[in-house]
Amino acid sequence: MEKHQSLLVIFLILAGLIASIFLHIYRSSLITYGAEGMYNPTRKRYFFFLILASVAVILMSVTIPDSPYFMFADKQPSKVVFVAAKQFSFILSNQAIDPKKGGAGENIEIPVGELVEFRVSSLDVTHGFAIYDDKSNLVAQTQAMPGYINKLRWKFNTPGTYNILCLEFCGVAHAFMRASFTVK
Amino acid sequence: MENKSLKRVTSIWIITILVLFVASILLGIIMRFNQGTKINLAPATFYAYMTTHGLTMVGIWVVAGMAAVHYLLTRYVKVPLSINIFAMLFTVIGVVLLWAATLVGHFHAAWTFLYPLPFYTAWEAWATPVFLLGIGVLGIGWFVWAVGMLVSILKNYSLSQAFAWQHFKKDNGIETPPFILIATVSLIGVIVCLLTAVLLLILYFAEYFSKGSFTNDPLLMKNLTYFFGHTIINEALYLGLATLYELLPEISGRPRFKTTWYVALAWNCTLVFVLTAFFHHLYMDFVQPEGFQMIGQIASYLASLPSATVTAFSVVILIYNNSIKWSLANILFFIGVMGWLIGGMGAVIDATISNNFILHNTLWVPAHFHTYNAMGNVLFSLAFFWWAANEFTNTHNDRRERFKTILLLVGGFGFVLMFYIGGALSIPRRYSVYPEEFTSAAMLATAGAWFACIYLLGIVLMLIDIVKKCTRVFSSSSV
Repeated sequence: MEKHQSLLVIFLILAGLIASIFLHIYRSSLITYGAEGMYNPTRKRYFFFLILASVAVILMSVTIPDSPYFMFADKQPSKVVFVAAKQFSFILSNQAIDPKKGGAGENIEIPVGELVEFRVSSLDVTHGFAIYDDKSNLVAQTQAMPGYINKLRWKFNTPGTYNILCLEFCGVAHAFMRASFTVK
Repeated sequence: MENKSLKRVTSIWIITILVLFVASILLGIIMRFNQGTKINLAPATFYAYMTTHGLTMVGIWVVAGMAAVHYLLTRYVKVPLSINIFAMLFTVIGVVLLWAATLVGHFHAAWTFLYPLPFYTAWEAWATPVFLLGIGVLGIGWFVWAVGMLVSILKNYSLSQAFAWQHFKKDNGIETPPFILIATVSLIGVIVCLLTAVLLLILYFAEYFSKGSFTNDPLLMKNLTYFFGHTIINEALYLGLATLYELLPEISGRPRFKTTWYVALAWNCTLVFVLTAFFHHLYMDFVQPEGFQMIGQIASYLASLPSATVTAFSVVILIYNNSIKWSLANILFFIGVMGWLIGGMGAVIDATISNNFILHNTLWVPAHFHTYNAMGNVLFSLAFFWWAANEFTNTHNDRRERFKTILLLVGGFGFVLMFYIGGALSIPRRYSVYPEEFTSAAMLATAGAWFACIYLLGIVLMLIDIVKKCTRVFSSSSV
């Protein structure tokens, strides 16, 4: 199962748990009609808060090192791809792109299993730069912002054609803004 | 007389908000049917609707919270009615300007109007300044209202009392009601984010009038946009929670909530964390300093923890194994807390940087914010509306309105589930139509639209009951 789907399963389990607890609480207020103040779990409240706080701290310490800013930070990329987004296309090039001239870009081939660095910017408004595999799973992304270069490092272990979609609303043809590259 | 006028003004707010809510839901349903290829809108029309939908929804639930807090605040302090009427006037003007910009001028830069998109006009040239002016007018109205209410609180409570700091001591003197504490925290948040909006608008207008000699920094503008946008919608939720703390025990026939040291601590912490959680909107901007990204995740986790834990436990203690006088009002509060917590789970998952890397700007985003809004905050405000409509007309109504509740539950959770599944399938958000490789996207959109129709039916049935009662407030014999 992909990570995306695992997150959905985790979410649905948690949502189901919350809904079950609320249903149980609601029912308890119907069954014991007439009873007063039978439940005051002040100690449990601290206990519960401590558990949640501990879970939050553990989750943070486990997940933060997996942030994209730290991935492959100590490695040297074997290939650099320059990306300039503009309404409503992507320019991909093996050479640096002149922001004043833009250009048509070129076909990009990325060697499988090698570390690649995408240097992503925009020539007009803010765009998204999202890489999708051939099963339409979102693999990696960064934003394409005018005046800034976001560096996204990734290693493609599966050969094939990867699509690039814009994931930041950029105007009327936002849904049609796309490009692709090959990994082999 | 003052009370009668306040009831009338509050009734106007309630009716206006509900009518605008129905109109905005309809726009949302049209968008989902378009994504489901059941209808065929021009992309520019779709995005104009999307901009209108987002703006209107954010706006009405902010003013719903403000109107409810104003009404209930008069139980504790004297609040000038003039600020309420001033805000209403400015809200009407602001909404007219915004709707003119989007629906007449075809402005469609989304409610976030992310810099520099508003200057890349694919719409009438006048629509951009009118849109920005509309935001400014709304901001002025709400700012005056929020400051007015905060000043009213501070006339009766010192600042430390309003923050309930005396509850950290053993001998704490007078008690700060939870409602006052949460209203203070929320109003300060509203004021801070509206001041940020002012700065944002000044920078926009400076560039607009400079005719190219001055340009803004996109990263700074993005930080300002999300500080304003993220915070205002969260403060709307907290205003709704203030209402819950005040009314839920009362409607349920249970003792009032009390402020304890941990309630005080939780809401003081919430103020700090909610103002720094907005950084999570910029996780995918790798040029943002990494320290801010870490703060974003830590604050996102911590912003939800104290207020949610304290509120959830307070509600559990109030209801569990106790005899409760259930009516639609407290049922809505109860379901709203559940929806808020479930949406909060979705939000925390997305606010984890390593998850955001594959969820950012997919349908997971509308999934979680629709959950804690449509099934959380909206229900808090609807609970207030239902309670107020009965209160204003001295009507005793303890019906549970099971049919309406079921419509909201099935329609609301079904609607957001389609978004969550879409998010897990990496389907992008804000697409007028989906690329063909997302084979289930159109089907999910259509199913979502139908679920939204069910939710809408529940809302319309409530609207009919509430509006009927609220209009009675204007007849001379009532109130």
